[in-house]
Amino acid sequence: MLDLTTRYLGLTLKNPLIAASSGYTSNLEHITQLEQNGIAAVVLKSIFEEEIINQFHESMGGLDKFHSNMEYLDYYDYELKNENINNYVQLIRNAKAKVSIPIIASINCVSNSEWTFFAKKLQEAGADALELNIFIMPSDQTKTGEQIENTYIDIINRVRKEVKIPVSVKMSSYFSNLSAMIQRISETKIDGIVLFNRFISADFDIDKIAVSPSYVFSNDKEYSLPLRWTAIMSSKIKCSIAASNGIHDSEALIKLLLAGADAVQIASTIYLNGMGQIDFMLKNLEDWMQSKNYTSISHFKGALSYNNLKNPAELERVQFMRYFSDHAIDNK
Amino acid sequence: MENILEYLKEERAQAWRDELRKKIKSKDRTAIVRVKMHEQDHDIRSRNNLEVNLGLKKEEAVIEAQRCLDCVTPTCIKGCPVNINIPKFVKKIEKEDFLGAAKVLKETNSLPAVCGRVCPQEKQCEQECFYTQKLKLAPVAIGYLERFAADFERESGMSSTPDVAENNGIKVASIGSGPAALAWASDMARFGYKVTVFEALHEIGGVLKYGIPEFRLPNKIVDFEIDNMKKMGIEFRTNFIVGKTMTIDDLREAGYKAFFVGSGAGLPRFMNIPGENAIGVFSANEYLTRINLMNAAKINFDTPVLSGLNVAIIGGGNTAMDSVRTAKRLGAEHAMIIYRRSEEEMPARIEEVKHAKEEGIEFLNLNNPVEYKFDKNGKVTSMILQKMVLGEPDASGRRSPVPLENSEYEIPVDTVVVAVGTSPNPLIPASVSGLKTTRWGTIVVNEDMQSSIEDIYAGGDIVRGGATVILAMGDGRTAAAAMHKNLAKKLLTK
Ligand SMILES: Cc1cc2nc3c(=O)[nH]c(=O)nc-3n(C[C@H](O)[C@H](O)[C@H](O)COP(=O)(O)OP(=O)(O)OC[C@H]3O[C@@H](n4cnc5c(N)ncnc54)[C@H](O)[C@@H]3O)c2cc1C
Ligand SMILES: Cc1cc2nc3c(=O)[nH]c(=O)nc-3n(C[C@H](O)[C@H](O)[C@H](O)COP(=O)(O)O)c2cc1C
Repeated sequence: MLDLTTRYLGLTLKNPLIAASSGYTSNLEHITQLEQNGIAAVVLKSIFEEEIINQFHESMGGLDKFHSNMEYLDYYDYELKNENINNYVQLIRNAKAKVSIPIIASINCVSNSEWTFFAKKLQEAGADALELNIFIMPSDQTKTGEQIENTYIDIINRVRKEVKIPVSVKMSSYFSNLSAMIQRISETKIDGIVLFNRFISADFDIDKIAVSPSYVFSNDKEYSLPLRWTAIMSSKIKCSIAASNGIHDSEALIKLLLAGADAVQIASTIYLNGMGQIDFMLKNLEDWMQSKNYTSISHFKGALSYNNLKNPAELERVQFMRYFSDHAIDNK
Repeated sequence: MENILEYLKEERAQAWRDELRKKIKSKDRTAIVRVKMHEQDHDIRSRNNLEVNLGLKKEEAVIEAQRCLDCVTPTCIKGCPVNINIPKFVKKIEKEDFLGAAKVLKETNSLPAVCGRVCPQEKQCEQECFYTQKLKLAPVAIGYLERFAADFERESGMSSTPDVAENNGIKVASIGSGPAALAWASDMARFGYKVTVFEALHEIGGVLKYGIPEFRLPNKIVDFEIDNMKKMGIEFRTNFIVGKTMTIDDLREAGYKAFFVGSGAGLPRFMNIPGENAIGVFSANEYLTRINLMNAAKINFDTPVLSGLNVAIIGGGNTAMDSVRTAKRLGAEHAMIIYRRSEEEMPARIEEVKHAKEEGIEFLNLNNPVEYKFDKNGKVTSMILQKMVLGEPDASGRRSPVPLENSEYEIPVDTVVVAVGTSPNPLIPASVSGLKTTRWGTIVVNEDMQSSIEDIYAGGDIVRGGATVILAMGDGRTAAAAMHKNLAKKLLTK
C-alpha cells in the first residue's frame, strides 16, 4: 500500500495535489467534482480587492456626475465589498458542508489596507487555511524594491494578527534577491509559501499593431522556475512550500517533490486536460514510486534539494557559460 | 414635453408677464447683485438649535426676483425634478403677489417651505439658470425665493387648506409618513379618498423630522403642513409598524383598496472595519433620531448622553453635515468631518458645508478610517486614519480615492458617527410575498410607481435607494395620479 499523504501548512493532505486558485475553484459544483477526481485540497478563487474597485467604477459608469454624487452611493464600494465578502463566506460555508477535503481561502492583496481585516471573516466561515495572493505589480515606478518587500511583510504581519488558521503567501518571483526574500518571508509567522503566482503579461498583435491579451495558461516547461527555487530553498526554510506554475503532468509533479515541495498546485493542466488529469497524475506517481520502490512520499521528498546535492551550485547556475557553448557546438 | 413647452410659452405670453419684462431693462436686471441670506451669527448659532437661515425681507425678495430675466426657454425648470414653473412664481414675487407665488409653487410642490430650505438648488434649478450657464454670474436665488413665498403664505394666516373632492368612501393607506407619503396622501385626499397614513415612529414626517435637524428645518414648518393635511381629513396613525402591528394583508381585509409604500431607506450602513461595534460608535441614523426625537442629548435623560468632546463624523453628505453640526451644538470641542475625497466631491449641499465651516467644524478631507480602538469597557478611545489621494476619474467623471500606503495615524475620539449612507428598510419588501425588489432591496416599480403587485405603489427612498425630498415628493404625486386613475376605473364606474 502506497502512502501518498503529505503535510502542508500543518494540514494532512491525502496526496500532494492541490487545485490552485482559478475559475474552477470559484463554485461549489466544480469543487465537488475536483474532490471526486481525487484532489487533496482546494484553494478557492481569490477574492479581489481590485476587482471590487473595478466593479464600483463600472456601476458608477452609467451615471452622470449628479447621480454618482448622491449621498447613498458615496460609499457604495463598501457595500459591494461586503456583498462580495458575504458571497465568499457563503462559498466557504457551502464548500465545507459539501466536501471533506481542506478548503483554503485566498485573498488577493494589492496593498496593506484595511482589506486584511476580512481575513478574520474567512476564518469564521470555516476556511482551513488562508492563502495571501500578494500581487504588487513590479512595474510600479513610484515604488522601490524595498517598499514592495516591506509591504509583503506588513500584510503578512497584519493578517497573522487577525487569524489563527494557517496562512500561506503566494508570492511573485520578481525580487532582486529572491532567496533572501523567501527567507525573510519564512521568518515571519507564516505557515507556508507558494512559489509562485503568475503575472499574465500582455502580448502584441502585429497585424493590428495593438496590445492583445496573452494566453492565460502556463505551458509545460514553466515548472523549471518553481523547480529551481523550491530545490534551493526547501531545505533552508522551516515553513511549507507548495509549487505552482507549469506543473502539467506527473513528471513535473515528481520533480517538484524531489526538489522538496510539500505539495503542488495545478490549474492550467485541469483546464487543458480536464479533471481526469488529477487521477491520471496520481496513478503515474504511484507507478513511478512502485518502480523506484518508494512506499511513501517522505521517502523521496527533497531528495534533490540543495542540502542533499553533492554539487548544489548546479542549481544556482544562471549564466550559460560553457554549457551554452558546448550545447551550441553539439547542435552543429 | 411638447405640451409643457407650449403651456409655458402661453403662460409667459400673458400680459402681466410681458409688462413686467418691459419694466426693467435686462442690462439693469443683470447688474443687480444676488441677495444674501440673513443668518444667525455663527458664534451664537453654534450654541443653539434655532434655524440658521433667517429668510429674506419682502423688499429683498422683490429685488432678487427682478434679477430673473423671464427667459424664453426657462432652463431652470429643466433642473427641477418636479418641473415647478419657476419663472412664473418668481415673477409673481416681482409683482408683489406673494400669495400668488405660493399658489404657483403648490401646483407642483406640496411642501415648498421645506424644499426652499433643503433642496440642493445649486445642483438643480440654480445650476441650470441662465446666469450660471451663460453669464457666469451667481444664479437667481430660486431656493431663497421659494422659501420666502412659502413662509409668507404660512405667516400671513391666509394659507388655505386645499379643496377636497367629495368623499368617495374608498380607503387607501400609506406605509410611512416621509415626504413621499405626505405628497401622495395630500393628492389622494384631494381626489376624495379616505386616506390613512401609517407611521412606525411616534412623529410624522420621516426624515424631515427625525433626520434633518431643527437648525436647518424647524419642526413647526413640517407640523404646519401636517395640520393642514389633518384638516383635509387625512388620518395619521403613529407607532404603527406595517408588517408587524398589522400586515398589508390584514389591512386589505380591513377594507383598504390600495397602498403607497414610502418606507424610506432608514437601515444604516457601516464600513465593516475593526472596532466599529465599539460603544460610542453610532450610525448617523441612530445619532440623529435619538437627538431629534428622543432628546437624548438632554442631561438626565434615560438614553445615553451623546455629547462627546472629540466627535468624528464619517462621510461627506447632508447626513454627515447635520450630524457634525449637531455634535458642535451639543458642546463638542472638536467636531470633525472625516471624508475620503476632497471637498469638491462632497455630496452635501454647498450651503451646509459653508455653514459648517463657519461654525468651526474641522474638515479632515482625504482621510479614511481603517480601525477604531476601544478601552477595556469596550468604549471607543481613538481611531486610525489613513490618508488618501484622488485617483483617476471614474466613468461618471468623479475622482475616486486611493489609499496612501503607510500613512496611518491615530487621533483620539470619544464619539464616532458613521454617515456613509443607508439601505432600504427591509420589513415591507420582506413581509409582502411576490413584491419584486432589486438586489439592493429597493422596490421595483413601473413609470406609474406601481410595484409588481397591482394594489401596491411605492416611491421615495424605498424605490430610489436614496434621493432627495423633492424627488420623493414627485414620486408620491406620480403614484397618486396613477392610483386614482386605476381605482376610479375599477371602483367608481361600477
Ligand atoms: C440627515 C439627513 C439629511 C438630509 N438632508 C437632505 C437635504 O438637505 N435635502 C434633500 O433633498 N434631501 C435630504 N435628505 C434625503 C431626504 O430626506 C430623503 O431622500 C427623503 O426624506 C426620502 O423620503 P421618503 O418619504 O422616501 O422616506 P423617509 O423620509 O425616510 O420616510 C420614511 C418613513 O417611513 C417609516 N416607515 C418605515 N417602515 C415602516 C413600516 N413598516 N411601517 C410604518 N412606517 C414605516 C419611517 O419610520 C419613516 O418615517 C436627507 C436625509 C437625511 C437622513
Ligand atoms: C483562469 C485562471 C484563473 C486564476 N485565478 C487566480 C486567482 O484568482 N488567484 C490566484 O492566486 N491565482 C489565480 N490563477 C493562477 C493559478 O492559481 C496558478 O498559480 C497559475 O495558473 C500557475 O499554475 P498552472 O501552471 O498550474 O496554471 C489563475 C489561473 C488561471 C488559469
